[in-house]
Amino acid sequence: MKVLQVVEQGFRTLVEEQDDTILWLTRSMLGAGAQLSVLLSGHAACYAVQQRRQPKLTLGDWQQSQPAEVSRDLDALTTEGVPVYVVRDDLAERGLTNLAVRDGIEVIDRSALPGIYDAADQVWQW
Amino acid sequence: MARYFFIQSQDPFTEVRTATQLDLARRLTEAGNEVTLLLVQNGVSPARQGAHSDSFDALCNSEVRLLADRFSLQMREITSAQLKPGITEADVDIVIDAMLAGDKVIWN
Amino acid sequence: MNETRTLTFAFMDPPFESERTVTFFRLLDAALARNTNVRVFAYEGAVAQAFALQAPHGNGVHGRDTEEEAHPLTKDWIAALQRTAASKGLNFEWINCGLCVDERGVNEVIPGCGRGGPADLWRFASEAFNTLTIGTR
Repeated sequence: MKVLQVVEQGFRTLVEEQDDTILWLTRSMLGAGAQLSVLLSGHAACYAVQQRRQPKLTLGDWQQSQPAEVSRDLDALTTEGVPVYVVRDDLAERGLTNLAVRDGIEVIDRSALPGIYDAADQVWQW
Repeated sequence: MARYFFIQSQDPFTEVRTATQLDLARRLTEAGNEVTLLLVQNGVSPARQGAHSDSFDALCNSEVRLLADRFSLQMREITSAQLKPGITEADVDIVIDAMLAGDKVIWN
Repeated sequence: MNETRTLTFAFMDPPFESERTVTFFRLLDAALARNTNVRVFAYEGAVAQAFALQAPHGNGVHGRDTEEEAHPLTKDWIAALQRTAASKGLNFEWINCGLCVDERGVNEVIPGCGRGGPADLWRFASEAFNTLTIGTR
């Protein structure tokens, strides 16, 4: 069974969880034999052009030591053979088209989404 | 051809992503798929006659089958007679029927 | 031959925050009404849906004491669905993401709800006839 993981929420949990929880879930399920692909849309499209680790949060005398590293997490997925797509229109809406998309991530037009959806047995929209 | 069943909880008045979601539903029909969209929660708000939403109204003129969750309508005191043409009331049981029919069921 | 099919649901919202919670539980109820087995993977805040220490309260603004107010609690909704499933000979399984539980300190869950991880979601989905994920916003 092929499942398309649609990640639309960007930056929602990056500070507290020190990762994107759906990307984390995706990596975790790979170990269980899951056949997954990932579509970055909406604000999650920003992940495709991230270059740096997230900033460390400081609150009073508490300081974060292990902020999220989305680019590393995405690289891990593509290295493991997970197809990762990002919607060009979502990048354009956010003024991101002039930035380099990470290696291994395929940029697709919104018009190509029906084909991506059709290729999956199930679509899990998060 | 595949069958898609969208559960549309987001509405175009507060959530701008809704326009993209509705656009995808339309594109899927244009690609030859059978698409149903069940409006739930505040997602029913553009279904009332007199409500204005370009993205939703465009969908009313498409091949997408439009349903509105009866409970969500009752909460908002929207009667069946007040729905825009082409939208029919339904219960959430229809989601289960779609899942059991093997549809690709997607929550928006 | 038992032809009862199983549907899997993944849910992420905590109780008392979103209308999604109500729709989610209505879907579970509808699934049991259609005589299907139900499996739930509760992720992130949804692990608190089964928290055993949820407590009803009176509401002075409503002018009702605790008993009269009969405040809805999601742990009671889960228990009600468990009873419905049992009465129909259906399976109703609920697995909380264990790490999500630990983070939130909601380890005490009502009977019949378990603890697991992402592999359980994939197992649930693989074995089910169909799966619906309901993301949070």
